[in-house]
Amino acid sequence: MDTKNNPGKILLIVTGILTFLGLLLLYSASKSISSVSSSLSIFLKQCVWLCFAVAIFFVLKNFDYRHWNKLAHIMYFITLILLVLVLVIGTGRAGRWIRIGWFNFQPSEFAKFVLIIVLSRYFSIRDVQRFSTLLGGVLITGIPFLLILIQPNLGTAFLFIVIFFSLAYLAGAKKKHLLILLFIGLFLSPVLWMGLKDYQKQRLVIFLNPWKDPLDKGYNILQSKITIGSGGIVGKGFLKGTQTKLAFLPEFHTDFIFCLLAEEFGLIGVVVLLFLYYVFLNQILKITLTTQDSFGRLIGTGIMVMFFIQIFINIGMACGILPVAGIPLPFLSYGGSALIVYFICVATVFNLWKNITLF
Amino acid sequence: MEQRIKSFSFVIRVAFGILIIACFYLQVIKFPDYRRLSEQNCIRTIDLGIPRGKIFDRNGRILAEDRTCFNLVFVPYDMKNPQEASSVLSTILGVEKKELLAQLEKKSSNPFERKILKRGLTQSEIAAVSEYAFKLSGIFVQAGLDRQYTLGEGTSHLLGYTGEVNQEELELLKDEGVKLGHFIGKYGIEKQYDSLLRGKSGGYQIEVDARGHQRKILREIAMVPGNNLVLTIDQSIQEICVKELGDRAGGIVVMDPRNGEILALVSKPSFDPINISKYLKPPHSGKNPFLNRVISGQYAPGSIFKIITEIAALETGEIGEHDRIECTGSMEIGDREFRCWKEEGHGWVDINQALPFSCNIFFGTVGMKLGVEKILEYAKLFDFGRPTGIDLPGEKAGNLPSVAESGGAINIAIGQGAISTTPIQLCTMISAIANGGNLWKPFIVKKITTPDGKIIKEFQPVLKKTVFISEETLTVLRRGLRNVVRFGTGAGANVPGIEIAGKTGTAQIGHRELGLPTRGAFACYAPADSPNMAIVVFLDEASSSQAARIAGNIIRKIYTSEDTREETTISETVIQTLPYGSQGFE
Repeated sequence: MDTKNNPGKILLIVTGILTFLGLLLLYSASKSISSVSSSLSIFLKQCVWLCFAVAIFFVLKNFDYRHWNKLAHIMYFITLILLVLVLVIGTGRAGRWIRIGWFNFQPSEFAKFVLIIVLSRYFSIRDVQRFSTLLGGVLITGIPFLLILIQPNLGTAFLFIVIFFSLAYLAGAKKKHLLILLFIGLFLSPVLWMGLKDYQKQRLVIFLNPWKDPLDKGYNILQSKITIGSGGIVGKGFLKGTQTKLAFLPEFHTDFIFCLLAEEFGLIGVVVLLFLYYVFLNQILKITLTTQDSFGRLIGTGIMVMFFIQIFINIGMACGILPVAGIPLPFLSYGGSALIVYFICVATVFNLWKNITLF
Repeated sequence: MEQRIKSFSFVIRVAFGILIIACFYLQVIKFPDYRRLSEQNCIRTIDLGIPRGKIFDRNGRILAEDRTCFNLVFVPYDMKNPQEASSVLSTILGVEKKELLAQLEKKSSNPFERKILKRGLTQSEIAAVSEYAFKLSGIFVQAGLDRQYTLGEGTSHLLGYTGEVNQEELELLKDEGVKLGHFIGKYGIEKQYDSLLRGKSGGYQIEVDARGHQRKILREIAMVPGNNLVLTIDQSIQEICVKELGDRAGGIVVMDPRNGEILALVSKPSFDPINISKYLKPPHSGKNPFLNRVISGQYAPGSIFKIITEIAALETGEIGEHDRIECTGSMEIGDREFRCWKEEGHGWVDINQALPFSCNIFFGTVGMKLGVEKILEYAKLFDFGRPTGIDLPGEKAGNLPSVAESGGAINIAIGQGAISTTPIQLCTMISAIANGGNLWKPFIVKKITTPDGKIIKEFQPVLKKTVFISEETLTVLRRGLRNVVRFGTGAGANVPGIEIAGKTGTAQIGHRELGLPTRGAFACYAPADSPNMAIVVFLDEASSSQAARIAGNIIRKIYTSEDTREETTISETVIQTLPYGSQGFE
């Protein structure tokens, strides 16, 4: 294979650069004066998580992706148990985490990957042209979707819907069927709303309309825009961001990490980041296109869609063109569970590539 | 499938294009604006606090409302020179410089933290602060809300007070939009109905200059007012009670015996609801100013309890209306001497004379015949030992002892020993006598309305139970209670032209020796033939006759509806000739 045009290799290189950039930004974030949420320990913790993630990557890169097929059932089952567990004993901002020792573990992150595997398997062995097959897919997606929705984690729940439609579309479902499902979904959403508890509704309302709580959340949007805008074309320089350093923006090491980049590295940094992401997604796309079996293709696309939606929603939110959603920016936002899942995804795509080159 | 995969590629390109355009717009086109805003880090949020609903009396008179006031606010993040600022402020506010300096020197890394240095500034203070604004970086005058209570201390135990939310309360209330620095109801009606009275906070997003002074308002968020409450309280009656109680320690509660509506509730010592901190320090704190004695004070009922003993005795037939017992002033029980409050004794008395003169020997003897169990059974019927369920926080249950702990029938029969009751319990009991056995749940809030006057909820009287008392017993008892006021121990309550029926009670305070101050109480209702008010007056360290006199004055004033300042009334001369206190407990 030609090294110049080797998508597998490029994918790994870009992943490496993005991960390094992520650590750089977290280090900058840890220099903030706000002592509560962003001391150095966040940077160090992320380093520990990264070691885990890399180790998992090296194990899984030689793990034939077709084995996921056999593990699909058991993984799905375990995921459901974990999602129920997190509702019962969950900790953290919206009760999304299960605490294990020093680290918080977030089942909904793993659920994304598991959903991709399970749906890929399901759509690759059934006749997707039939509407009943689609309904089966709705059921598979719906159970974890509801469990995540009531956490409430609307962002991730929304991601599930996109993954479902993308995979169904790719597997060859009729457009007419997909449109019908979309309308049924829109029709059912008020029913879903009625079933929620008051505090869940309240959180969703704030999510959908941040101006409802303008002194808090709406304030974040304004500050987020100021932070990005004040970076200008060249940025304020590494470790020199004032907005994020002075803690004008809470959560900037997680959901608003993009602002830190935009403030310190300016529009140039933003364009470089988007270019890296574009190359990253494009390599997955290339690998997917050369993969021969439909199970592999579906997995590849599912992973690509997952990364793409997270990138788009997170940055769109920071720019103020999308509502505030707790969706992390891949490889950049602080979060161990998510980082591990990203590396599992990259390992799986890399394995797709290895299997192609074996032929 | 390949075609469909490729369509994703198109979507990705479009989406990334949108993101780049958005960032270009923010970072290039809007760059000057945002750079300026960020360099001066000059956006502040001003939270004007949570508005609270008004509280009205039953006739629509305002008892509590929010008023706009001006506060001196301090943003630690913007503080440049605490030394200079504190010396300027100490002359303006007349506060010790050291005290101010300690507050102003606290650094904060949070640009939104703001502290209120002083609430309710006067006009001259505002003028002085703006005059010296150039020396006061990070300090400015800001409009806020102040809770005003029409009767001030007079309704402090009833309406309660508001205060800054603390950490624990914040945990519970943050989902309702309460934030640090907000005020919530802490006591009384303000606490009981806090979530209904509370509106939604409003405020401004402002741009400030380098000294922290406001330059322009970027965004304004309107406040949402809270709901209003209409109480059962009658402001005039409340005022009369406040005036009659004066500075004496004790309490008064007035209730409508026909439905349980509380017309007035006063407890002393009290506190100034807009200056709480003063009462947390000595010498005020020693007097327990935050104890609402009417609902949380648990006292031996004393002779008022003889009403229960009389009902038990007549209903069980243990004693007839005309059965006589001789009172010689004392009797021997085992090796202990049991004394009547009247040293020379009442002679041979039946129940018709024993109640008005509150003869201990008579009721003690009757009590022994009945046995502790029977008396407690009747006390239980009137819900003694259980909270009445009044809509105020902190109500106590009193204590209805077990037979073993009771201290013997002879003590229980005259309301001494281990039994304790709250004044509100006595009030529901005397009301039940007045209305023929109905035990109403006392309540204070009649209606909840929206700010524009729509009724959200109207509270109906709750009849807890009806105690069966035979017509014969009621007749004897009511005649006895009427005679207490006509010529008995409660003669101080006698008001010409108004038929008042009641019962006096005196009880020990703590374990003091005989002859030392006692707690005097008087429970009554009027008019005797068709009662529309029940009153309980009790005084720490005073006699029951004084309590009766106060009750009489209140009723007279309610009826004449005029506030005469005459302290000497016809009945006072009668009182002074009546013996009380020193010989024992009546």
